[in-house]
Amino acid sequence: MQLWLSLLLYLAAAVFLIGLGWRLLNWLRTPVPLKIPLTPGPADRRGVLWRLGGELFAFRALWRADRSLWTPAWIFHVALVLLLIGHFGGLETPRFACATLGGMQAAFCRVACDVGLPFAGGLTGMSMAQFGHFEDISGGLVGAVAIAALLWLLLRRLLAERVRSISTFSDYFALLLLLLIIVTGNDMRFMGGLNIEQARQFVAGWLALHPTPAPADPVFTMHILLVCALLIYIPFSKLVHIGGAALFSPTLNQRNNPRQRRYTGPWDKTNASATA
Amino acid sequence: MQAPPLKPNAAAGAHHHRANPTLLAALGLPTEVPADWRARALTKFDELLHTRRSLKLYLDTCVRCGACTDKCPFFLGTGDPNNMPVARAELLRKVYRRHFTAAGKLFGPLAAGEELTDAVREQWFTYFYQCTECRRCAVFCPFGVDTAEITMAAREIMASIGLATKYVSEVVDKAHTIGNNIGIPEAAWRDTCRFLEEELKEQTGADIKLPVNQAGAEVLLVPPSADLFTNTDTMMAYGKFFHALGVSWTTSSYASEAGNFGMFLNYEHLKKVNRRIVDAARQLGVRRLVMGECGHAWRAAQAFTDTLNGPLDFLEKPRPEHILEYAVRVIRQGRLKLDKSANDGLAVTYHDPCNLARAGGIIEEPREILRLIARGFREMPADTIREKTFCCGAGAGLLTDEIMETRFAGVKPRIEAFCASGATHLAVPCAICKAQFPVAFEHYRIDAQVVGVMDLLAKAIVL
Ligand code: HEM
Ligand code: SF4
Ligand code: SF4
Repeated sequence: MQLWLSLLLYLAAAVFLIGLGWRLLNWLRTPVPLKIPLTPGPADRRGVLWRLGGELFAFRALWRADRSLWTPAWIFHVALVLLLIGHFGGLETPRFACATLGGMQAAFCRVACDVGLPFAGGLTGMSMAQFGHFEDISGGLVGAVAIAALLWLLLRRLLAERVRSISTFSDYFALLLLLLIIVTGNDMRFMGGLNIEQARQFVAGWLALHPTPAPADPVFTMHILLVCALLIYIPFSKLVHIGGAALFSPTLNQRNNPRQRRYTGPWDKTNASATA
Repeated sequence: MQAPPLKPNAAAGAHHHRANPTLLAALGLPTEVPADWRARALTKFDELLHTRRSLKLYLDTCVRCGACTDKCPFFLGTGDPNNMPVARAELLRKVYRRHFTAAGKLFGPLAAGEELTDAVREQWFTYFYQCTECRRCAVFCPFGVDTAEITMAAREIMASIGLATKYVSEVVDKAHTIGNNIGIPEAAWRDTCRFLEEELKEQTGADIKLPVNQAGAEVLLVPPSADLFTNTDTMMAYGKFFHALGVSWTTSSYASEAGNFGMFLNYEHLKKVNRRIVDAARQLGVRRLVMGECGHAWRAAQAFTDTLNGPLDFLEKPRPEHILEYAVRVIRQGRLKLDKSANDGLAVTYHDPCNLARAGGIIEEPREILRLIARGFREMPADTIREKTFCCGAGAGLLTDEIMETRFAGVKPRIEAFCASGATHLAVPCAICKAQFPVAFEHYRIDAQVVGVMDLLAKAIVL
């Protein structure tokens, strides 16, 4: 009985949560002594929210910088978020909202089934069983898109001279890890080696802190092991940026208002008294 | 500008002269690199990591996506891979990984960590002094990673072990002891002002004053000292401008420098240089503080003064103002009579100094003025202006002869854009740019002239 897989996953999740939390807290606690927003920049909070939102959801700077990077990067991130939603959305609890990927179909969740289904069902004429099947297919499609985007990013790293020259082992490692995770995931969906219901029960039980035995499937085991590796890897690598690095970045999150109000540097107090 | 193929070490030989022991002592820095420099550098590094979020966050979050790689003028000009912003930052980041992160401590080279060795120290001194802290890279980074912040931190660490350039150190020392970067003492400052007053009399027929240390004036104007030395047209322009407005103004021989080279050395000197301006304004009892035509001076003044040496509540408007911002206001109020035809025949384009555009928010003001006073005004290509402007290649302490090749390389993208505009005159409100461009034009055999925005405005003012 593969209870150890659940335990390992708890361990990895703990490292992930504590590690990431610790890193974010560290950023937050490190003072920003001076006003350094990039100008032109918004002077009010609402403007700053727009600026951050633009970076977070549209990768605005990347769009300005390099469309051939923006395209795979943005597609990959959207696909990743959809896959995450899809994973939890497929469960009884907790209930998550749905999302759409372009014209492609959504990753559906139980909220849709409880509340939205009668409505969506009325619209599409689909039964609940068909709905579940559809979720599988759309999840698989999103996975395939993510794989394509990752391969694009990988090829770019290998082929574009400048990017290759700055790439480190960890840049390739992150890409390969993600590729393997999604490939094993899609393998289960499409090759049908796994009973999806059983996998769902495993994840649901795991989330509810009542771990159940993992399905005895080598690909599934591999998938979970790789996910553990990723979770542990994130806090210690460049992947910490998933904590929303742009949100913490003073060039982007500061209001451009030093000409309207005085900004007092948090660690300037000692200095000020030294020369006052 | 098209990105060049990588030419490893193309710029590795471009070195600044190092500051001598006397100079370093005057600035309170170690007079030579101490035997325990490694430990001291890491201690300073640690201190900065705990006091500057920009440094820590930017070292942590770069994903090496490469978006910034072809955005730096020094990479575009030299092709040296270490001049790609991300690679420049990696010079510091690899040491950060090795000494300050769990992954780097455990896995070393596998986690791209590297020991702080003599060779790394040399790389720092070379490449962090081939960055003009222009922030162009930051505009294109998905996390706003500002390599200028990394460069500043690296320079601060180097300063703490007695590694600084001769040029920056000399200038900071002169600012502390004499009051300006060029080293013009009070008597010469007054003499030059008298001389320029005579010049103005000849040009305009009017008795235009360039007052010095005049207590109780409405405006303290702090120009870059180069305006009194090489860009005298700009100095005279301030005079004609305030004369036409009927506003009383003065310069200060104590704070006779808008520029702040402390910013290119360390925080302590940034603050100390900045302090003189506040003290002068308080002593003279002025009501407004106006900064002359200079890029980094404006950054230091508008973004840092209030924090470092404020509050400026003794002023009627308790913040520094920029001369072009001031000019736009009075023009809109209809307080100046302008004659556009004075600048007829000039094909003028405008160069955004990086610090005005990306760190000071002065972007539309000069354009509003130029459109009013020069029929021949035109823009350079859109991806080279406003916040995407290319640096002149001489900011942040690079305006020195021993690295002339680096300067020529750094200005190349800007020169190409200038040529595309078809202009004959380059209007520039920055003393560093004004010193760099004539040399660059000569080097690239371009027949063009550099003028201040205020110079053109003054020409158009009808007294
Ligand atoms: C602030 C918003 C974000 C931005 C601007 C951003 C940007 C980027 C960029 C530019 C890359 C590098 C692509 C490459 O060239 O290899 C990347 C990689 C990655 N991002 Fe994000 N990201 C953001 C948020 C997130 C979030 C929320 C997640 C998690 C769901 C995430 C997960 C990843 C992963 C796993 C990679 C690895 C791919 C690689 O190493 O290249 N990112 N991100
Ligand atoms: S654009 Fe930003 S994240 Fe990308 S390589 Fe440059 S500094 Fe790193
Ligand atoms: S701040 Fe300017 S000079 Fe420095 S790395 Fe960035 S683009 Fe290059």
